[in-house]
Amino acid sequence: MSDYLDRFGRGQSMCHRWPPLAKLLSAIAMILAATCVPIAHPLIGIVACVIFFAHTLARIPLAYVARRLLFFWPPLFLMAISLPLSQSGQTGWLLFATILVRGTLSFSTALWLVNVMPFDQLLATLRRLRVPDVLLAILSLMYRFLFVLWDELDRMRTARAARLFRKPSLWATWRSAAHLLGRLLIRALDRADRIHGAMLARGWDGRSRWIEQPREDRP
Amino acid sequence: MTESQVTSESSAVRVERLSFRYPGGPDVLTDISFTIAPGEIIGLVGPSGAGKSTLLQHLNGLLPSQLPNFVGNVSNVPGQRLTDQVSGGHVGNVPHVVIDNLPVARQSIAEVRRRVGFLFQDPDDQLFCPTVFEDVAFGPLNLGLSEDEARQRVRDSLASVGLAGYEPRSTLRLSLGERKRVCLAGVFACQPGVLALDEPFSSLDPRARRTLIGILKKFPGSQIIATHDLDVVVDLCHRVLLLDAGQLRAAGPTADILGNAALMERHGLEVPWRLR
Repeated sequence: MSDYLDRFGRGQSMCHRWPPLAKLLSAIAMILAATCVPIAHPLIGIVACVIFFAHTLARIPLAYVARRLLFFWPPLFLMAISLPLSQSGQTGWLLFATILVRGTLSFSTALWLVNVMPFDQLLATLRRLRVPDVLLAILSLMYRFLFVLWDELDRMRTARAARLFRKPSLWATWRSAAHLLGRLLIRALDRADRIHGAMLARGWDGRSRWIEQPREDRP
Repeated sequence: MTESQVTSESSAVRVERLSFRYPGGPDVLTDISFTIAPGEIIGLVGPSGAGKSTLLQHLNGLLPSQLPNFVGNVSNVPGQRLTDQVSGGHVGNVPHVVIDNLPVARQSIAEVRRRVGFLFQDPDDQLFCPTVFEDVAFGPLNLGLSEDEARQRVRDSLASVGLAGYEPRSTLRLSLGERKRVCLAGVFACQPGVLALDEPFSSLDPRARRTLIGILKKFPGSQIIATHDLDVVVDLCHRVLLLDAGQLRAAGPTADILGNAALMERHGLEVPWRLR
């Protein structure tokens, strides 16, 4: 589970060997291109090709990208569908298509970025670019605990399945899913408290202090 | 002699008349008093919910709402009451926990946390940085050490828990035993004189457990270990404190307390196999 997002982050392809800053800037450039070019323009096809070629270059299987996109599309679709419903005529559908295309390309680029550099390297690069500490702390803690929480949810789901002796009704499924999520939220809050305690116990006073790991120590 | 040895030799813990309750809740701790001599290893035993974790958290000032506003040093001589040493202060300002002459109070909290290393029960709570290196360096950097010193501490403390070379590893991809040892390295890197360990052996397989015991045996300072693993207590601890329902029910040499079948039975515990 822990490598769900960045399974190929420590790969050895040509892209992985680029300097970290080059990777970050390439990703930003690709996202800018994807979001600035109008989707009716032929150039958007070229941008899409570049992005998916980048995945091939980094030896990230397209099937892997497609599977991640399957998770990304439903919420994106829900967000975009409101536009044709609220706007009349072609404008609404054009906006709908724009959101889907730009969202897909930006998400694929972000996926490429986290898969061509280990997450700590990404954080270190952002830090060098003077991204505010608070933002970095949020990113770092989110990456660290997303999987812990996911595992916790997984264990609760398994425990529920172990005591489900027949297929529940749709209503019962939704009800127990809501209970699981509620329980997860409470556990997450408790955990946040304990993590804060652990930070205090090692002298944390609200300021981030940080040194970079020497390059030769990295794998 | 290294800095850590000096610290450990002058470190000791003194708890006097400590009571505690969470706001609106029942008493969690009632009138607890004990001392820990320098270098002594204490086992804190008792049934679940006895208040062991809460007691440990007091040693590190982790319950900030309870910290007194107290300035100055107090004597650490057993028999001399803390309440007698604090003149003019109202009851809320009397310190109940003293670490090596330093009362745990709002003003002293940073220094208290430097002196007392705290190991949490769930290593996932304690490993919050993406890599082992960053996590172990967290404490030394907060202590204000220079980059070179911090790096040296990371190397030394990882070596002392048998994980030299683990610096670049992701904290997500470690076994439970390794995670516990990295947590301990993070604590060692602050060079504390006292260790407060909350259930350090829970869920460990026998090999990881033995490794951890070996590491703790080598630690030169005082330790207080809250655990249900009574065989480890027999192996490791000089003295035992038995806590039940927030009260200190017994204190004494390990074999005397844990070998007392009637006492153990009364508080929902069992005499460990090695003392039967």
